Amino acid sequence: MKKSGILAGVALLIALGFLPFVVTTPYFIHTFILVGMYIIFALSYDLSVGQVGVLSLAHPAFFGIGAYTAAILAVNYDFPPLLCFLLGGILASLLALLIGIPSFRLSQHSFAIGTLGFALIAELVSRNWIDLTRGPMGIPGIPRPTLSIPYLFSWKVNTLTQFYYLMGILVALGIGFYYVLTTSRVGRAFRSIREDETLAASAGVHPLKYKMIAFIAGAAMAGIIGVFYAYWYTLVSPEQLSMYYTTNLLIIVFLGGRGSMRGIIIGAFLFTALPEFLRITPQLRLILYGIILLVAVIYFPDGIERVLQRLKSRGKVVSAFEKE
Amino acid sequence: MDIFIEQILNGLTLGAQYALIAVGLALIFGVVEIVNFAHGEFFMLGAYAFAMVYPYDGPIPYPLAIALATGIMVLFGIGYERVVIHPILDRTWHTQIVATLATSIILINGAIIVWGTTPITTPTSWAKTTIQTPFFNISYQRIAVLAITATAFLVLHLFIQKSKTGKAMRAMSQNREACAVYGINVRKISVLTFAISSGLTGLAASLISPLFNILPTMGVLVTLKAFAAVIMGGFGRVSGAIYASFMIGLTEALAAGYGHHLNIDSAYRDAFPFGMMILVLLFRPHGLFGKKVGI
Repeated sequence: MKKSGILAGVALLIALGFLPFVVTTPYFIHTFILVGMYIIFALSYDLSVGQVGVLSLAHPAFFGIGAYTAAILAVNYDFPPLLCFLLGGILASLLALLIGIPSFRLSQHSFAIGTLGFALIAELVSRNWIDLTRGPMGIPGIPRPTLSIPYLFSWKVNTLTQFYYLMGILVALGIGFYYVLTTSRVGRAFRSIREDETLAASAGVHPLKYKMIAFIAGAAMAGIIGVFYAYWYTLVSPEQLSMYYTTNLLIIVFLGGRGSMRGIIIGAFLFTALPEFLRITPQLRLILYGIILLVAVIYFPDGIERVLQRLKSRGKVVSAFEKE
Repeated sequence: MDIFIEQILNGLTLGAQYALIAVGLALIFGVVEIVNFAHGEFFMLGAYAFAMVYPYDGPIPYPLAIALATGIMVLFGIGYERVVIHPILDRTWHTQIVATLATSIILINGAIIVWGTTPITTPTSWAKTTIQTPFFNISYQRIAVLAITATAFLVLHLFIQKSKTGKAMRAMSQNREACAVYGINVRKISVLTFAISSGLTGLAASLISPLFNILPTMGVLVTLKAFAAVIMGGFGRVSGAIYASFMIGLTEALAAGYGHHLNIDSAYRDAFPFGMMILVLLFRPHGLFGKKVGI
């Protein structure tokens, strides 16, 4: 990212910071929070799908474990919210480690199927472990969080605007984390594995280690955003572990452009805000999503990112993913 | 004892269902190297196709209805190959998986719009008539499932092993480029593979749906169990997928019948195939019957 890009980003962030003063419709703010959620969620997914190039289908499990961690600890044990955020992230990364150890023995297709199996088991557990999760009824009544560190600060997040700012902080942290991770040495290792695993290994880049780092880091982000979701919606149910999220994530990441931060951010905005504003019925929306995903993946494999690059260079851009 | 035998029969019926679906998946993966995430939705469409032609134990004879539903699914498979698979045949596996996944989403939600979410049933007189033996009862339907499945596999086996086209399919599973060089019509083999695989899901659906409910999401779990079978059987190995399917069916039936003795809630019976799959992957990543190449 160049200096101008960073400046534009900061300017956009400040503009979004003033948004609640300009736009007072709760519905708009609500939608923007949802957009923020999908930005982090999709970026966390992209760490494994776009950066390292392993197609995991277990991502909703990490989001779900974060959401359930917060719900159970906050409702039953009155845990401090900051600790819940931390634990949600940690438990999600532990789950990723557990899923990753057997799954990374598989290559390509089998990895996708193996992780899908884990996602399904996670959903089955959330549906059937009634003592812990209350099953299909879900856990309602999650209290509004008070983020506090003793003697330093205490912030009760109660109104929609406050949730909007909490989301803003999380988005800034998430984007920062994604940016630092992918532009560091680790990020270069990620992409070298994506380009050619054997070559990377022969150059001393341990593929399993970096795949695991990407998988676990992505899971931690997804877990933390799951905790936010629990506090925001105040209800967590097995739906939060369903394939529905995988579909949305795939659309955002593939349409935005795998491995492209700006593409994914734009993709998250387009695919969360637009359908909300267009008010399409859920079933029709999913069919539409499916068709868009199908057409996009066949005809525009690099998504929005390629469009952006074309605009800049006004010429042919070589795809990173579809090499001859 | 009779409970045991009945659970075994249940398991074999389930196994036959999974096998008919898993064989198609394994065939597609073996020949065109594509993982078809929409395969369970083929099964779902097959069930609705069957329900359309045979809504109330009539108006046509049951065997004709089976043939019709299978034929419809063969046509569907050909159409699917043309529309979805053809453009992605030479693309990366990422693109292929996402494209078939997208198709599965379209099919499920399309089915919800067309047929609604209320389960429908297609009773047959065969499902109600049972043979009683001293040890167990078995309905004609289950006998038909087992007999027709066995026949279908025998025919498929002979076709793949003996016929010229079958040999071309096997050759393609080893090296697609070399096949093209030797004048095998790669495109035609790909269409044929999808026609056979899709037809088998139609056959499975017309045999099984009289025993269960038909609903738009019925394919999701079935796809995953068929995947589990394909992985356990060694990716792309047709015979391995068949054995593994029956193992999964039997395990599931026994877990449902006897799980409570081991304190296992029957709600978790669906988790068994994936648990087995994960164990196999941990200790034998190439599958129980894994080999390097070939279908």
